[in-house]
Amino acid sequence: MNIVLIGIVLIVVVTILLYNSLIAKKNQVENIFAGVDAVLKKRYDLIPNIVASVERYMEHEKSTLETITSLRSSAMKPGISDDQKIALDAKLSAALGSISVAIENYPDLKANENVMHLQRSLNEIEEQISAARRAYNQSVTDLNNAIEMFPTNFIASWMHLERRAVFEITENERRSVDVNALFKR
Amino acid sequence: MKSITELTDFYYNELYPSLKELEEQRLQMVWKIKLYGSFWFIFSSLILIYILKQRGFIDPIFFLFLFGTIILGGVIYDWFSKDYHGIFKTTVIAPIVRAIDPSLLYNPGFPIAQSLFERSGLFRHSIDYYNGNDYVKGTIEGTELEFSDVHAEYDIEDAKGRKHRQTLFKGLFIVSGFNKHFKGKTIILPDSAENNFGSLLGGWLQSMNFSRGDLVRMDDPEFEKYFAVYSNDQIEARYILSHSMMKRITDLRKRLNVSLYISFISNHMHVAIETRRDHFEPNVFTSLLDYQQTLEYIRTLQNTIGLIEELKLNEKLWSKE
Repeated sequence: MNIVLIGIVLIVVVTILLYNSLIAKKNQVENIFAGVDAVLKKRYDLIPNIVASVERYMEHEKSTLETITSLRSSAMKPGISDDQKIALDAKLSAALGSISVAIENYPDLKANENVMHLQRSLNEIEEQISAARRAYNQSVTDLNNAIEMFPTNFIASWMHLERRAVFEITENERRSVDVNALFKR
Repeated sequence: MKSITELTDFYYNELYPSLKELEEQRLQMVWKIKLYGSFWFIFSSLILIYILKQRGFIDPIFFLFLFGTIILGGVIYDWFSKDYHGIFKTTVIAPIVRAIDPSLLYNPGFPIAQSLFERSGLFRHSIDYYNGNDYVKGTIEGTELEFSDVHAEYDIEDAKGRKHRQTLFKGLFIVSGFNKHFKGKTIILPDSAENNFGSLLGGWLQSMNFSRGDLVRMDDPEFEKYFAVYSNDQIEARYILSHSMMKRITDLRKRLNVSLYISFISNHMHVAIETRRDHFEPNVFTSLLDYQQTLEYIRTLQNTIGLIEELKLNEKLWSKE
């Protein structure tokens, strides 16, 4: 009789602990996503300044600059989902990356202190975004593992927790520097 | 900052003449130490043999006298070599520091401020004794830097209520500026739990270390093998520890091959290198004209000051001026 009672108490305690650990992981993901969101906003605030100060010089990159502006406005629309935000962020990073590379070809821009300052700010924000992405990916991986692993998977399906998407590492971040290509330019 | 080759030239061209003078002093001192040491050895041996014959081996007086003579020997050695230590530092270490970078200040007698050591948050125990020497301070390529030898100890009581000194940290302690802004606290500790208990149990033990802040699992397997990171801000910890920074810290750890503690607090980086040694002290019985010995001082100084370049703290890619 006693053994049965102890068994039931043990199961209840373990279930509560597992349930709480899942909640903690879910909240961690949301908490860090808020941090990701904050740095992404910082970049949205910086974009109009960058576009305004380089568009006079950069005739050939007009279409890229327009893409950046339109990506920014769609990312800032209210009510878009986290997954959409993640997708837009990847496109925006790639477009901004190509602008940063293109600036190298314009001596006027490179000499412009304002542009250089903006670029440094952008570098810093990119670095913060990269950190936020990595933190988010780790927390999502923790949550996804718990959702799939035994025995938390039972509780997770009962709680209707679903796997979340991680940030893809952008092409630019993944590609190592091709020194040859740099010299051929 | 000068390279090892340039410093070798400096050694032969500028330092060597003054070393020759000092070497003569050293030889005189060694002769005195040997002479008085022999007297001391013969005299105390005779007395010890006498006590042994009269009272036997397990007599308290024998042990009292044995320890007494050992301490006396240490006092004799200190008495003769005390001045030499001071002169050595002003003639050898100080010029090397100046040669590496003329803007650096050197004080052989003082340690880095205890408040900085405590601010680092690397060692949690309260400190009862704080000593150190060979303090260097300056600015290397726009990044401030200060370091010294540090020996921090605390008292513990044994079962009988007797106090013993326990070493908390002995080695080099370095504080420098950092090229990114940060507000939180991030601490990097040697990963003892994961090494001793394997990754699963060790990982769990690490995450139980609540007093340090949350465990931050980093996405660099080699870095994770050596270190455990705690921070009160998951995003900021990764902002400070970019992939390239983790690689540089891992390389530093592999080069030093001793326990390495790093913290990022109050916009400064704190590095504790646990060598368990007192650096920049002369070896009384080794010739000063032996370049290998001087090279070791040069290397230690050059590497410590070179930390700024090794970790690329001088790179101002960001908005922090």
